[in-house]
Amino acid sequence: MNVLAALLSFGSVLAAAECPPSSLGEKETLAKFQDLDRAAQSAFDRGQFAAAAEQYREAACLVPKSARAFYGLGIAEAAAGKFAAARKALETAYAILPENVMPLAMLVRVEVAAKDIDRLKEVLRTAAQRFPKNAELHSGLARFLAESQLLDLALAESLRFEQTGASDTASAVALAVLENGAGAYQDAIRTAQAVEGQSGVADAVKASAAGVAGLSYESIGEREQAIKHLSLAIELAPAQENSYLALAYLYEKAQRFKEAVAVLERGRKLMPESLHFLLPLGSNLVWSEQYQPAVDVLNELLRKAPDTLEAYLRLAEAYRNTGRPELEIEILRKLAQVKPDYPMVHVLTARAMLNMDPVDYSAVLRILAQAEKSTPNDADIFYLRGKAYVAAGRAEEAVAAFQRAIELRPMDPSPYYQLGLVYRKLGQLDLARQTLSRMEHVKQAAGTP
Amino acid sequence: MPSHEAQNLSYPLQAIEGAITPPDLFFVRDHFSEPELTLDAWRLKIEGRVARPLELSLADLLESPTKKLEAVLECAGNTAGGSAVSNAIWEGVPLAYLLRQAGVESGATMALIEGADSGRLMPDSPSLPYCQLVPIAKCMQPESLIALKLNDRFLPRRNGFPARALFPGWYAMDSVKWLQRITVLRPEAPASGFEASGMNKVYNRIVETSPGNRAVTRLSNILIRSAIAWPPDNWKLPAGRHVIRGFAWTGAGVVRGVEFSSDSGTAWTPAKLELAPKPFRWVRWNYSWRASPGEHVLMSRASDDSGHSQPLKRQPGRKDGYELNFCAPVRCSVQ
Repeated sequence: MNVLAALLSFGSVLAAAECPPSSLGEKETLAKFQDLDRAAQSAFDRGQFAAAAEQYREAACLVPKSARAFYGLGIAEAAAGKFAAARKALETAYAILPENVMPLAMLVRVEVAAKDIDRLKEVLRTAAQRFPKNAELHSGLARFLAESQLLDLALAESLRFEQTGASDTASAVALAVLENGAGAYQDAIRTAQAVEGQSGVADAVKASAAGVAGLSYESIGEREQAIKHLSLAIELAPAQENSYLALAYLYEKAQRFKEAVAVLERGRKLMPESLHFLLPLGSNLVWSEQYQPAVDVLNELLRKAPDTLEAYLRLAEAYRNTGRPELEIEILRKLAQVKPDYPMVHVLTARAMLNMDPVDYSAVLRILAQAEKSTPNDADIFYLRGKAYVAAGRAEEAVAAFQRAIELRPMDPSPYYQLGLVYRKLGQLDLARQTLSRMEHVKQAAGTP
Repeated sequence: MPSHEAQNLSYPLQAIEGAITPPDLFFVRDHFSEPELTLDAWRLKIEGRVARPLELSLADLLESPTKKLEAVLECAGNTAGGSAVSNAIWEGVPLAYLLRQAGVESGATMALIEGADSGRLMPDSPSLPYCQLVPIAKCMQPESLIALKLNDRFLPRRNGFPARALFPGWYAMDSVKWLQRITVLRPEAPASGFEASGMNKVYNRIVETSPGNRAVTRLSNILIRSAIAWPPDNWKLPAGRHVIRGFAWTGAGVVRGVEFSSDSGTAWTPAKLELAPKPFRWVRWNYSWRASPGEHVLMSRASDDSGHSQPLKRQPGRKDGYELNFCAPVRCSVQ
């Protein structure tokens, strides 16, 4: 408030030099002011913001006590992207007409557009101080700030709206969403359930409230309550896909994959065009071991949205779990085409290739060499390389590969085991014994609390 | 109605990747049950020797200027080798800004910082809110905050939601959680809740200077310290090269260096600091150790730019259970 007050104490923002002296009488001044105001409004409506600003500026020179002229000037300057000039004009409008909320409400928009958070907070504090009971102002600011993704400030304005004592279910749901986002889960549940329990509220609003309550219950670990509320949200507004997705996600987290599938299939039936159901549905089908329907759904998704990278991995998982390494390799190769730098794609491909019968070891080694270029310190590359060398009868090279895998990940017992076996094959029984004994040591260490 | 019993939680430092402690691994030391606070009803009062007493809502704080900083918090009673220490990015309103708004009277020297949690600290003390006395000089430091966020999220409830005091560089007992009142006091004014609750009898450094004579001083600055995050104590390792990892921190100044020993503190070698050390935050360090078969006692020792080094042993004469910053042994069996 202090900075704002200091700025305002200088009076009009238009310096004398900007305003040529006027010889017009009172009547002519008023007539010219009205002409300028109309012309400015018209220029603004045509999107000619600089021209509008020029005319408002002239009007403000004629009538320096006109809040309307300064307010118009502020809006026009803001629309032209001249935020500093807009700020000055709106501060003057506020000084002239301090009982009107519009200059402050517009100043909020200017500071948001200018991304000046310190000034924005200052304007919001002034608005809170000057208009503590103006419910419309605070709910409007809350909505605007939420749309601008300034969620902390939106929460602050929502709380200020609550303090006015006004009741508005849409604002209450918005507050519950912000409380949930802020981690105030009990507050969110209380606010949302108050809306759920109100009579005469539209089902869609109640559904949103039930959805927020469900998410908040999940966050405080009350999953059954969460499921109950999200199920209610679906009953109240069956066309809101987020409720299905959220409920399915809860089932997924609880490893209740079949129930997740049932929810997603229900949603998909109602909204067959939505792509949002396909990845979670395909994934939950894989995890509930319904592989063929999973493959169908995931292939459909990849036909429609080939950049859904996770779908390739789920599909590869489905093929792996049904013993179809050739299809697993094919889909991983497609993933590598779509996103060549996808983490681990070459390692996953090499692993799938090792499950083929017969194995093409030189192809496996080639793809591992490719993997090493992008992630030279990935222990899995050397472990798989070691296995490929063993199978190809290249024991000495296998030793070096397993040793490198151990160096990179000393607490993983698998390469010790493989290395021990290679030493045994090479007749180096002491080394084999020593390595297998280390493996036991590592295994015990892994079990150490 | 309290929602949870008092909690005492800490997590192995090994679980922390990078320099920032995730909220779910942040240590918790409660004195009393967690209070049930609602956002719309919660207020922070600033009163006492001020020109304009304030009653601030969460909206007021959210719309105040805020500051972000990285700082370590450590429990004053963190045991040697313990993990009651965490490092986070905090965001909040500078306490100095609010005190200036309230207009602290000249001559005021202390602030009684009070939380919304309450109970009996001592068996014979009345049930009172948790509170601490902090010098105004520390409150006015630019790093002292009314913290609202931890790692860019609102504070978890168990870490003081919606607001807690934060005094970087000082032990955590002063960073009062679930903050509800700050009372500015003159030196002669009694801090009644502080004394009546018995809080003045804890968090003191007690040194026996001579038989029967004890010097008692209030704890404040975090002492220089380091910890080995990996391997944990009593760990088994295969022979070979291993990267030993840990953290080092100090309350005053910055960490200058960390040394590592694999023979119970006989020989020391410099460890590598992973980033340039900065005030208030901890720094990760590592040491590439070639482990030979046998039983080893690993230790780390930090020093700061004020010339303080972590001691090898507890200071003789200490009669309290705080500031246990001596080098902690980590036993390790290598095969």
